[in-house]
Amino acid sequence: MSGKNIVKAELGRRSFLWGGVGVASLALTGCGSSAKSTAGKASSAADVTLPTFVPLAGGAAPDLPATAAGVPAAYYTYPAAPVAAYSAPPLSGGKISAMTPLFTSPPSGHDANPAWQAVEKALGAKVDITMIVGDDYDTKLSTTVAGDSLPDIVVITADPANLPGLLAAKFADLTPLLGGDKAKQYPHLAAIPTAVWEQCTSAGKLYFIPIPRNISAGSGFYRQDMFAAAGVNDCRDIKNADDFLTLLKEITVPGKQYGVAGSSGNGGFSAMPFLHIFGVPNMWRLDGGGNLTAHYETDEYKAAVEFMAKVYKAGCYLPGSQGWTKNQMEDAFQSGKAALIYDGLPGFGVAYQQAKKISPAAAPAPFVPFGHAGGKGVTWKDNIYFARVALKKADPARLADVLKACDFFASPFGTKEHMLLNFGVEGTDYTLDENHNPVLTAQGKNDTLVTFKYLSAPTQAQFYPGQKDLTDLMYKSYTDEIALAVADPTASLYSPTAGKKGTALGKAMSDAVAQIITGQSSLSALDSAVKTWRSNGGDQIRSEYQQALQGGTASTASGTPTK
Amino acid sequence: MERPSRLGTGAKALVIAAVFVVVVYPLYVVLATSFSSEADVAKAGGLVAWPAHPTLDAYRTVFNGGIVTRALLVSFGVTLVGTLLSVAATVGMAYGLSRRDLVGGRFILLIALFTMLFNPGIIPNFLTVKQLGLLGTYAALVLPSLVSAFNLVVLRSFFMALPGELYEAARLDGAGDFRILTRVVLPLSKGVIAVVSLFYAVGYWNAFFNAMLYLDDNTKWPLALVLRSFVTQGDAISNGEGIASTQAIQMAVVVVSVVPIVLVYPFLQRYFTKGVLSGAVKG
Repeated sequence: MSGKNIVKAELGRRSFLWGGVGVASLALTGCGSSAKSTAGKASSAADVTLPTFVPLAGGAAPDLPATAAGVPAAYYTYPAAPVAAYSAPPLSGGKISAMTPLFTSPPSGHDANPAWQAVEKALGAKVDITMIVGDDYDTKLSTTVAGDSLPDIVVITADPANLPGLLAAKFADLTPLLGGDKAKQYPHLAAIPTAVWEQCTSAGKLYFIPIPRNISAGSGFYRQDMFAAAGVNDCRDIKNADDFLTLLKEITVPGKQYGVAGSSGNGGFSAMPFLHIFGVPNMWRLDGGGNLTAHYETDEYKAAVEFMAKVYKAGCYLPGSQGWTKNQMEDAFQSGKAALIYDGLPGFGVAYQQAKKISPAAAPAPFVPFGHAGGKGVTWKDNIYFARVALKKADPARLADVLKACDFFASPFGTKEHMLLNFGVEGTDYTLDENHNPVLTAQGKNDTLVTFKYLSAPTQAQFYPGQKDLTDLMYKSYTDEIALAVADPTASLYSPTAGKKGTALGKAMSDAVAQIITGQSSLSALDSAVKTWRSNGGDQIRSEYQQALQGGTASTASGTPTK
Repeated sequence: MERPSRLGTGAKALVIAAVFVVVVYPLYVVLATSFSSEADVAKAGGLVAWPAHPTLDAYRTVFNGGIVTRALLVSFGVTLVGTLLSVAATVGMAYGLSRRDLVGGRFILLIALFTMLFNPGIIPNFLTVKQLGLLGTYAALVLPSLVSAFNLVVLRSFFMALPGELYEAARLDGAGDFRILTRVVLPLSKGVIAVVSLFYAVGYWNAFFNAMLYLDDNTKWPLALVLRSFVTQGDAISNGEGIASTQAIQMAVVVVSVVPIVLVYPFLQRYFTKGVLSGAVKG
């Protein structure tokens, strides 16, 4: 959620969302899409009747099961006989229009795209998607709103400061259509965990349908082979921060390889694993008395910054990587120039495959944080959803049709519909290998870039065809990291000040922290930066969240994993 | 004139060589990277100075599926038609405004200049285009920016600087304004028109923002916007299973977009240096 951190979509590019959120914002960490539900004033998800959770029955059995804690199911091969989720197309004619960001090159056009046409046939309606290059999406959204030419389904990415007003004026309140047992009419939407739906409210109403992700974005990636060469076989074995610093020094060979690389997208210093090692709270800490402390204000944060400054001073940061693009950072990681980077866990599969291609001996693995003084570190519940879609206001019958379409696009892994939406038409867009895994053809690679996956989506399964090792590694990492995951107590709350000033405040903090890490100012500068942060809006944000917490009843509704 | 010293010549040569390297080296690296294999790119950590295993994979990826080819055609079309229309409109308007006897000419000129100072902003532009029914049409890429005030001023000043005797002579011979423009003014203005055409053409070739706002159908996208999606998005370009590395693809895309402009420049360059007016009066 860093300021302008347009991190990529899919394949683990999280949170292009949040062009500017709050407090939270931490350009330093470049973190993911935990979410702020955006209400008019103080409100929390607890005020809203959320869709009743109904697990899907009769789907394909996974090789590694999903857990109640939120670990996603994993499949070694695609189910041999995908089941049909629908016996007849859910719609009978008409058109569903939508607007989504595009994070790839453009797909083949509708008329030359058999996959697109087959999806329309299976849905029973035309699907007209306006796909906008991700970086331009918010501009296009504002002109579309101003021109009053909104389509049926609109992806809402960044939280604009006036989002509550926008939602109330242009978008449908979904509470009467999806709240409680009404959701059962849309079984695929009802199978999305409550923890994700909690992030979809505003002003006491349900306004969004989520594009769910798997709870935690993890704690970065490390090269197990490089750690092992320096005497540590598994990051879980590291005993404390001092040992870790020694290890990073051991790995670093100036000019050849370094302990850590950053990128401008993650704040320059790949800070997330360090914050996790030191147990820094996820944005805010809520004490028993209902008081909030920003993570900037905690001793843990200060200790993490101090440690990163030591790592920098020891020359373990890859020189210049602070200004790099994410691609440059990943290249450095994959080619063994850096042993630790921060990128979102969903992107690990690609990093793993590329590194193995460059050198089969490479052993990238997700970093699981140890505790800085022994014990365990933490991870954050910061990847609950990728984006949310809102539906244009319309009469209930029309909205019911659009919801049916959303339900269709949320067809789960192992169904014919999921296969079609993700891999296109058999024979043309993909062929099945001997393990009945779909393999995209050259045409399929272009045809399947249509952004159906952003019109609503099921929870994500782990599926790396033909790569059992990678699948097991991902499953184990999710298991370990979700076990350590802490929630942001403000995740479903709204603070108008955070909406307005959050980005600027976060940027000022990350600038100050960058100076400390690089040794241009001393650690004491952190105290004055925090003081400035508080007086410039931090305290105001705190009081707004606290007011919201007291106003909301029951739980703090912050991304608790559900069954 | 004083003969330059040997030292001076040497220094100049050095400076020119340095400038040459500074200008050409980045272009060379772009080209080299676009031909590099994935392993080369990874080994070099991004940009490659010497592709050890040259390959055309990046270009294959870029041209796979015909999207870039189609966008190239769109861009050629928009650039060609747009430049012709823009130059025609600008020449006509500049000629009219260059005549001192035009009633209200000053007012019209001020209105045109006003647009150089105050930009109406994205949303009013969008609403105008929408109201005119141009959304989703190629006309939306050309008409809103048909006349650039800057180019208008350049042409008008040039026309005003032509000797008044030329106009008088033509009038005495019975020529009307249209004939004066086409037979007298334009033949003398080839250089400046070439320059203005180039400004327009480069503008149309590079424009992506209008297309992003006004064209919802991405099969209508011009090259600049398609390339933007390749360059800014950085990954997932071939939907996983990268055959070519992302950097190589991005650089291939840069090459594809730059080549046409590079090809056109040498032909127009002489107009930049040529003394356009020499001998016009003496005839």
